Amino acid sequence: MGNKFYIFMMACIVGLLMAFTLNNTSGEYRIVPFKVINDYKKVIEKEQVEIQSIRNLLNETNEKIEYFKGEQAEGNVGKALKNELDEYKASAGLLALEGPGVLVILSDGDRELIEGEDPNNLLVHDIDVLNIVNDLKISGAEAISLNGQRVVSISEINCAGPTIKINDRVYSQPYIIKAIGNPDYLQAAIKAPGTYGNLLKQVGLFVEANTSVSITVPAYEEQIEYKYLKVIERSEKP
Amino acid sequence: MIIALIGIIVGLGIGFYLPITFPAQYSLYLSISIIAAFDSIFGAVRANLENKFDTVIFTTGFFGNAFLAGMLAYIGDQLGVPLYYAAIVAFGVRLFENFAYIRRYFISKLRE
Repeated sequence: MGNKFYIFMMACIVGLLMAFTLNNTSGEYRIVPFKVINDYKKVIEKEQVEIQSIRNLLNETNEKIEYFKGEQAEGNVGKALKNELDEYKASAGLLALEGPGVLVILSDGDRELIEGEDPNNLLVHDIDVLNIVNDLKISGAEAISLNGQRVVSISEINCAGPTIKINDRVYSQPYIIKAIGNPDYLQAAIKAPGTYGNLLKQVGLFVEANTSVSITVPAYEEQIEYKYLKVIERSEKP
Repeated sequence: MIIALIGIIVGLGIGFYLPITFPAQYSLYLSISIIAAFDSIFGAVRANLENKFDTVIFTTGFFGNAFLAGMLAYIGDQLGVPLYYAAIVAFGVRLFENFAYIRRYFISKLRE
């Protein structure tokens, strides 16, 4: 009888444990497939990367504040502000820049026309230049100039008869585009199969892209006058 | 056999009646422990039928197996390897073996 009593007691314990588990697992739990877990993991990783980048931005800003505070203590805020102004000028296109990049030459084709072919096919148009410039921008070009004119936010590339107008000045071919950025990427943006530059070359235009360790992009020389712009006042504490 | 079933039912009744809960993240360890304990119960019933039942062996096996299974699940969780599969397979196989023995025993008894 003692044996049976032991078995009974242990069975009671198992029953107790089962009851606890059932109490706990009933209701809000269900089986989650591994794919869902994986997807959530990816989402979480993405969010963490974003959080990290935001933290970096915060650190950078804090460093800047520290820097300005240090400069203020030494009494040369003006110099610090000038440095920052130069930075903004560089990104706005008001300073000449230098760096590795690519030099693209666009020119009309010199092959014989096929009988009945539209001669426009062999000419460089403003849209061709625009597309090339756009391709360069997509590939990470940081500064672009066309025939010595810096391409800034308000630069136009427009058809002007047999010539192209940029920054209100007229240039004829050959069109020389200089771009600062990763030379390999920029060259690929012009030469890789399927790109607009490659298409132009196959049609018969003269397209050439050479990488260089040192490309000089001039500054934007015109005076920018804003008549309609108004800065929206932002409150200090959003 | 019947005494074990009655015991489990009584335990279930008490467990549902008692307002005891524990953190949800331990439910896996508890489930593995339950499988181990279940195996011990079946083993005890079988040993009882064979007249080889030993209280000390049964008690130590009951708690030791349950604890080891729970620990295995915990360590596996920490390492990122589902080690508790080992416990599930090992105790599961033994569970079925014991049950098969008990079944045969009763069937042969019925046929006599």
